[in-house]
Amino acid sequence: MTSATADRIGIPDTSGTDHTPRRRSKLVLRNTLLGWSFILPNFIGFAIITLIPVVTLFYVALTDFNIFGKGEFIGLENFPKLFADPLFQRSVVNTFYYAVMHVPLTIVVSLGLALLLNTKLRGIAFFRTAAFFPYITSIVAIALVWNLLFSPDYGPINEFLRFIGIQNPPGWLTSQEWAMPSIVIISTWRDMGYYMILFLAGLQTVPRELYEAARVDGTNAWQRFWNVTLPGIRPTMFLVTVLLTIASFKIFDLIIVLSPGGTAAPNQATVVLSQFIYQKGFIESKFGYASAAAVVLFAICLGATVIQFYINKKRSA
Amino acid sequence: MNRKFAAAGGLAIVATLSLAACSGGTSETADPGASAAPVTLTLSGWSLETTPEFQTLADGFEKETGNKVELVEYDPAEYNTLLTADLGAGAAPDIITQKEVKYVSTLVAGGQLLDVSDIEIPDSVSGAKSYEVDGTQYGTPYRQDSWVLFYNKDLFDAAGVDYPDGSWTWDDYDEAAKALTTADHYGTYEHRWQSTTQGFASAQEDGDIFSGDFEYFADSYERRLAREAEGDQIDFATSSANSPTYQGEFGKQHAAMLPMGSWYVATLISQQKSGEADTFNWGFAPIPQVDDSTTSEPVTFGDPTGFGINAAIDPAKTAAAKAFLEYAMSDDAASTLAGIGITPANTSDVVSDAFFSVEGVPTDDLSKFAWSTHDTKPENPTSDETAAVQTILGTMHTEILMKSKSVEQAIADAEAAFKAL
Repeated sequence: MTSATADRIGIPDTSGTDHTPRRRSKLVLRNTLLGWSFILPNFIGFAIITLIPVVTLFYVALTDFNIFGKGEFIGLENFPKLFADPLFQRSVVNTFYYAVMHVPLTIVVSLGLALLLNTKLRGIAFFRTAAFFPYITSIVAIALVWNLLFSPDYGPINEFLRFIGIQNPPGWLTSQEWAMPSIVIISTWRDMGYYMILFLAGLQTVPRELYEAARVDGTNAWQRFWNVTLPGIRPTMFLVTVLLTIASFKIFDLIIVLSPGGTAAPNQATVVLSQFIYQKGFIESKFGYASAAAVVLFAICLGATVIQFYINKKRSA
Repeated sequence: MNRKFAAAGGLAIVATLSLAACSGGTSETADPGASAAPVTLTLSGWSLETTPEFQTLADGFEKETGNKVELVEYDPAEYNTLLTADLGAGAAPDIITQKEVKYVSTLVAGGQLLDVSDIEIPDSVSGAKSYEVDGTQYGTPYRQDSWVLFYNKDLFDAAGVDYPDGSWTWDDYDEAAKALTTADHYGTYEHRWQSTTQGFASAQEDGDIFSGDFEYFADSYERRLAREAEGDQIDFATSSANSPTYQGEFGKQHAAMLPMGSWYVATLISQQKSGEADTFNWGFAPIPQVDDSTTSEPVTFGDPTGFGINAAIDPAKTAAAKAFLEYAMSDDAASTLAGIGITPANTSDVVSDAFFSVEGVPTDDLSKFAWSTHDTKPENPTSDETAAVQTILGTMHTEILMKSKSVEQAIADAEAAFKAL
């Protein structure tokens, strides 16, 4: 096929012959089928494992099912009860508190790491791997080690703080005010490697000539970063922000293993939405009620993502 | 190259998924043929290595009736969640051990348990009421634990403190804890569970967790906070961070006293035998009371452990399953259980003698009294709302002991949360 012919595909043909509409629709149909056959395997998995349960979720949220699926349709009754539930309100507040702290901190740390490791030093692969290790560590090991590190009386962190003169170091995971910040710190430590990789990929797409041109113009490092690097990695920044925000709203495993008082009951300082859903659904067997909370979580993630897409669209215009 | 890789990868994934779908669940080898042929039942249990009661019952049942019982092990901390997942998948065992009474109503509401009202429950068996929902019996108890006070006689001698004599009040307990605390060990160790404080309060103050009035917990919590402040027991925050086990704290002599359920007798004996725990003289006494009016029949709390039958059981096996439940309550089975240090639900004299003839069990009069004479109130009264209320109380427990709220504030918030249920 010549490029002239290729250019005409999809464009209305005004040469006026009878054959064109049938040939065009056949081509369109063939392209569509081709496209579907490529994505069908993945889509089937997605549909069965994700899409259908999510659609079912909206139905279950309108019932009072228990964990064995026994119950009846009650319409929207779950939602007013949910919004009046003090534990739910607490979960939403804590979830936003966590997200607002975690997202900027992780972006700064992983971008910093990526900038630092974006060189061609020998052995740089070792450092990049080392930064990624926390992400693949077992969550139980993380909980054990960080509990020891953060131990208020015997942990090294407080020892160091006392050494440099801070008389009353915080109680970290055992104190109500510092429990959530501690979890944010641990979470950032865990996630920085993963997002660092994404940023590294993004940094390597910024053309080198731009930096050289900037140097020639007499900019310093900070100006180069602000005016060349940041705009250059905007698509990556957008991706990282969206992923990070959704992951922050859905945080569960770290909260469960690190919350003060353990998993016996949700702790007011650290209970988040997904823990609330787990508690109501699996411990108290109120599946319908938990599904209603899950719908709210879905709406929050969706809302945040739509806002971010909108902002990104405005910026790229 | 890429297409081949994708195709191979796709095939591998399909193969793995189908394997995963085929595996899992328990394998039941039900014997076909006449009903007289031996039947194999499956039974859910936990920590099979350190909890020999399941195997003991299975062996005894097989000897008596020829029917085999296969054990299926579950993780003890997540027992109910895992069991629920199996029930939902239709892959749960025939006989379901009820580890916690608070899940009985959930299982019954989900239609997962068979009606066992036709099984005869002997008079000497206590705790059957916990398995009754709406007048129908859905399970039978085989074990009835009560909470007692374990104490380390050697550490008491070293500190020159008199042993508990069965008439202790909570004031005596506080004083002893103070006197027993040294630089090497605490006077007492109270575990992180909410039951360690709330169980006694509910039982001894005649509190009803379904009334929505939780004021009666205040005194127990104030006492506990005072003991922690004095350093007589490890504080809750440190305990949560370091996760010590109660078996380790008492067994390794980090604390001189331990309020705990009577199931710990069997564990301590076996750990002292295996060397996991130190060798020292110990006994158990009735739990401290509010005042001496209840000394003759100390009030404590505890819940039974029992068996229920999976509603989806193969009908050919139902008779054998019911026979197992009956066996577990019989004098024979109870004596065998007592012989390994378990406190059975059946506490007739035969059983009591069997318990105290076990090597390692303290045979002093006070221990005998504490074991056999008590007014045990259920920790988890059976109801639809038990799980939800216990969650609210669990949150209150953590808030008070983490000192994030004052006792009054935490109680008030718990009462508000109860109203919102």
